[in-house]
Parts: sequence; structure tokens; C-alpha cells
Amino acid sequence: MKTADELGVIACPLCELVMRSPDGDADCPRCGQFLPRVSRRGIGKCWALVIAAVALYFPANVLPMMHTEQFPMHRDDTILSGIKFLWREGSWELAVLVFAASILVPLTKLIVLGFLLVTSSRRSTWRPRVRTKMYRALEVIGHWSMLDVFVVSLLTAVVQLGRFASVEPGPAVLPFASVVVLTMLASASFDPRTIWMTRRGEA
Amino acid sequence: MSEINVDDLPAPNVHRHKRGRPAAIWIVPLIAIAAAAALAVRTYLRTGPTIKIKFESAEGLTVGQSDVRYKNVPVGKITDIDISDDLEEIVATVELSRGFAKLAVEDTRFWVERPRIGVGGVSGLSTLLSGAFIGVDVGTSKKSAAHFIGLEKPPGILRDQGGSAFRLNAQDGGSLAIKSPVYMRREQVGSISDIALAADGKSVEIEVFIEAPYDHVITDQAVFWNASGMDVTLDAAGLRLDTQSIATVVAGGIAIGFRPPDPRHPAKPAKADTKFVLYDDRAHAMATPDQESLALAMRFDQPLRGIGPTTTIDFNGVVMGNVDRVRLGYDSTTRAFYSDVDATVYPRRLGDAYDSMVLEGQQLGRSGPEMLQSLVARGLRAQVRSGNLLTGQNFITLAILPNQRKTEVAMRDGTWIVPTARGGTDLIQDQIANIVAKVDKIPFDAIGGEVQDAAKSASALLGHLDRDVVPDTKKMVDQAQLAMDALREGLAAIRDNVAAADSPIQQSARTTLEELERAAFSLRGLADYLKHHPETILRGRASGPEPH
Repeated sequence: MKTADELGVIACPLCELVMRSPDGDADCPRCGQFLPRVSRRGIGKCWALVIAAVALYFPANVLPMMHTEQFPMHRDDTILSGIKFLWREGSWELAVLVFAASILVPLTKLIVLGFLLVTSSRRSTWRPRVRTKMYRALEVIGHWSMLDVFVVSLLTAVVQLGRFASVEPGPAVLPFASVVVLTMLASASFDPRTIWMTRRGEA
Repeated sequence: MSEINVDDLPAPNVHRHKRGRPAAIWIVPLIAIAAAAALAVRTYLRTGPTIKIKFESAEGLTVGQSDVRYKNVPVGKITDIDISDDLEEIVATVELSRGFAKLAVEDTRFWVERPRIGVGGVSGLSTLLSGAFIGVDVGTSKKSAAHFIGLEKPPGILRDQGGSAFRLNAQDGGSLAIKSPVYMRREQVGSISDIALAADGKSVEIEVFIEAPYDHVITDQAVFWNASGMDVTLDAAGLRLDTQSIATVVAGGIAIGFRPPDPRHPAKPAKADTKFVLYDDRAHAMATPDQESLALAMRFDQPLRGIGPTTTIDFNGVVMGNVDRVRLGYDSTTRAFYSDVDATVYPRRLGDAYDSMVLEGQQLGRSGPEMLQSLVARGLRAQVRSGNLLTGQNFITLAILPNQRKTEVAMRDGTWIVPTARGGTDLIQDQIANIVAKVDKIPFDAIGGEVQDAAKSASALLGHLDRDVVPDTKKMVDQAQLAMDALREGLAAIRDNVAAADSPIQQSARTTLEELERAAFSLRGLADYLKHHPETILRGRASGPEPH
């Protein structure tokens, strides 16, 4: 069984004309459609987004996410301290939920994306089927990672009782939202086809 | 399905010069890294040094909530509260905000601000709602420090206040408290910044803070006295009531006064932290400084009702000191009870008299004890006297009494033992007792017996008179009767002779009287003539009418 990549051919995504794989960027000779290079471009873009997400992941977790003014107390909560607080207060289900959505999901996405990128760019032959499944799982869980941002934005809008109680977004909200958006963009920009472009075909 | 020859397939139109395009996407991670770095830098810049402060209790302090405030501006917050290794204190870890690192110098003071309700007012009320916070008083040192020991109560004075602190030593704290006012001429010039029992528990140490510019007014001649509340005194001087101001009645306070200028001791400005004595009242404060004190011991044989600590000791009406204590003793040899009185006197209170005596002693080459010896030799004695008959308050007086036995003054353990004499009401009581005792000694029984005997003799005598004397007397009376009758007869005969008109005695008497009348008439005529013609005595009688 041979893949198109192994044969050195591609099809135009628009007019489906089969042609030889170009070196570098090219247009379809029949309809003029831009032919994106499957391997290099997608991987590069994904790398950039993943690196950006990792860079912002630190401030998102270290800085306070939410500033709660509940007269006479006021507290700044990072994501982790908020989870700790929920856990201590007895809402362990909520703590688990927030932990999964805010810590586990973005972290898993970044790790899995990184793994896929490394293997794809090295044209690894390691279980492309498993890697494809990982990619699909990535897309499914990706939708849930914005939970914290939603919580904060909701509370900020709802809890505004002047001096007595108010919730304000902390400096971590923006990096956190960026991490989520960047990971979503990264997983979208990752072309799962690169998983199958193994070194086997290159001769 | 035939094999496809790849070479037969059309070739795509390859872009020749667009290999640089992939770089565009790399702007995203660059921005992200820059943003993360910016956030990191910003967070770092906002985080100042971490210091540790020890407190006795973490009451009211909460990690993440309690902040550190300087002049009510948050400058940091508590990030951790732990117990010290020896389990004695708590250690609060405080993260100061960036830019406030200069607050953490060696002599900076930290304390926990909690709501406090005191006589001087309510403070830290805002902490009721906001929770306790750590107050800061920035030190003047340049050396930064990371470990501090927190104060348990807010300092009375903050370093940025102008003024000076002085230390007072008091016997009793009275109703004084931190922030109690200090008055000079009934105007507030400062307040109590600290008050604590001395470590030995024998006195109360008070720190007062006098605000600028009045702190320069304080001299070594300044005196401090407790003006707390109402000073109602019932003593040998009677009932007395002193107050400094209505505020001090409620809140307590200290008053400052100045001793009258003394040319021998010119007033010098007092340095900050100078120690003063806090007197109980104005009268004690204004007395001449009690530099030299003399311990006296006196032994009284009489009961000492109304004598106790604070009883005054005077000399010729000048209050010299106080009784420290009175102890009852028992002398097993004489089997008598006695009272020992220990007292402290301040000879300088005698003023000029003391100076003169010291001078005299120097001239005579006598030491102080010798001078006292000579005073005792002249009859100096301690006496209990009644100061107030109404309240029964007594006082002890040192007085030179006449006719005293010669006594030596003794000294024991640095205490002068002054001989005592009985006196005052006590003496009167004794005299009355003596009189009663003497009356008691009169042998009324014996006297009664004698009187009875006398009465018996008198009765016997009367019987004798009745029996023997009376009959004789009757005879005598009869004879006297006879004699009287004879006398009467004689007198009647005489009267008859004289009273008869023709009796010769009466005749001659009448003639004599007439002659006398005539002679008197002539004499009157002569006198009248002489009155009108006195010259006739010298010249003789001129011819003229006869005087009639």
C-alpha cells in the first residue's frame, strides 16, 4: 500500500487534479489554487503557537486569577489556590472539575501537541494510529478548557456590590485565555496528515 | 487499474521567491514570550523584600488578608504565619511591596493594630471591620533588617512626631493608661506613651511624651504629679479635694509644674529620657526635692491608733516625711507590748533651718549624727499628737521638749533610733487615769467606819450633856433670871431720875444748851463781819455800825 506522499504526488484540494509534489509553495496548474505544503508549514505554525502557549502558561498559573473583595476580607486567588480553597471548603466535586478544566486539559493539550509535533517533524514511525487517536481526543477535550475564564467573567459581571463584595479579574485571566486560545489554534493548525508522512516512504 | 507514471503528471506552478513567508507565524510566540516576561518583571517589581516578625499571638491576623500599613497605607501583606521553633511565639512572614523596602530597617517597630478601647479614647476602630493589621513605625537606622520582634501594643509615640520622651517612676499607676493626657498649666502638652510595672514589681514605670516645642520647657526643676481623678484626702489636715481638669477625672492624667526658682540650683533644660519621680499629688511634688533621706525608728509604748503608712512626721510644724510602717512588738523581759514605727524623713524639707544647721555643724566640726545627738540631748523627742479630733487622725511630731532625761541616740542598720515621749491627748488620758487611780485609792470604807465611830461618840456626848449638864444649866438660868430682875430695877431708878422735868440734871442741861446757842449766834456775827471787812484783822475795827 502506498501513500500519495510516498508516490510523490498530491491532489489539488479544489479541482482534485493529481500532480507531482512540489518543492516549496506552488499553485495548481489547472485551477490556480494555492497548494499548502503539508509537512513543513503546518508543523512550523503549530510549533509557534505551542511555544507561545507554553510561555503564557506560567503567568497564567502563577499570577492571581481572581480578586475577591468580600467585606471585610479580600483575597487574591491563583488557579491552584482557588482549587485548594474549594477543596478545603468541601466542594471537592467543583475542585476536581476546575482542576480538570483549568489545569489538566491545557497541560494535556500542550504535552500531547508537543509530542505529536516532535514525532511528526522527525517523521517518526511510532504508531501513527495511536497518534491519530490522540489528536482526535485533543480536539474533543479542547472545548472545555475555557471554564476558568468563563467563571471569572461571569462572577465579575454578577458580583458587583460596591464596597461590600466584588470580584475582579486578576492579571492571570488574559494569559490564561491566551493559553486556551493558542492551544486551540495550535491543535487546529496541526495537520494530522503529517503523522502519516513517515520516513519509510522517503528513499 | 493501470499504474500511474508520476512523471506524466502535471507539475504545479512552484512559487520561486516565497520561502520567507513561514516567519510570520513566529511573531505569535515572540509576543507571548514578551508578554510573559513583562508580567514576570512586573510581578517581581511589585514584590519587595520578605521579612519575619515575631508576635506573641496571631489574634486577628490572617494569611493573605492582613496587611501591613504605614500611615494607613498598605505596604505589604502577611504571606505566612508560623509558630516559632521554641513554640513560644508566632512568626508572621510579611511580603513588603516593592518600593517599601526602606521601611524594613533595624529599629523599625511593628505592632498588631486591634480595636482598643481605653480611657484615652477608642483606637483602631476600623480594624473591627477590616480585621487586624500590622502597624509600622519606621526606624531611623540605615541598616536594613529581615527579622523583627513585634510590639504587643501600639507605641505611644511615632518617630515622626516632634517632641521628647521622659521617664517617670511612680509608686502606683492610678488610673493612668497609655494616651492619658499630660498637662502643663492645665493645657495638654503630651500624653503617656508607655506604662508598665517595673520588672521588680516595686514601682510603675511610665514614659510620657511631650510634644514639641513644650519638651524644651521641661527642666530639671520640673515636677510631675498624678492628676488622675479626684484626689480626696482625709488626713490630719482635714478634707481636701483636688482635680486637674474634668477630663482627668474621667481619663486620668499627669500634671507638670515647676518648683519655685531656687538661686542655688538654677534650672537646666532636661534631656530626653531624663528620669523623674511621679508624685501622688501637687503638694508632694512641690515640696523641696527629697534628695537626702534619713531613716528613723521610734518605739512607742502606747497604742498607735491612727498612725500608719503615709502618716506625716513633722518638725515644728514642717512636714518632714512619712511613716513607712508600724509594727507591734512584745518585750518578753518587761512583758509589755510596744509599737515600732519606721519612718523616712527628708531633712532638706526644713529648708533654711537645715542649711543653717549644716553650716553650724561644719563650723563646729560636727558631723550630721553628732548634730542629731546634740538635738536629742537638748530634748528632741518623737511624740504622737492628735491632728484631727474629729477623724481620729494622728501624726508624729519631732519636738524639743523640756525636762527630758538625757538619752543617747543610737544607730542600727543605718536607721536612727529617736527616743520618744508621750504627749498630746495620750498624756491627758494618762493624767485622767492618774486622777481616777488616786480617787480609787481613797479608803472610803475606813472613812465610813471612822465617821460611824465619831457619830457614836457624839451620841454619847449628847447623852452626857443631857444627863449632867442640862440640870446645872437650868440652875444657872434661874440665877441669871434673878440677876436680870435686879438689873432691871436699878435701870428703872436711873430712868426715873433723868426723865423727870424738874430733876436737877435736866435743868442744868437746858441752861447749858441755851448758853451754847447764844455763843454760836455771836460767832456767826463775827464771821460775817470778817467776811465783809477782812482788813479789820490787821487794822482793827473802823468806826461804823456795829455788826449785828
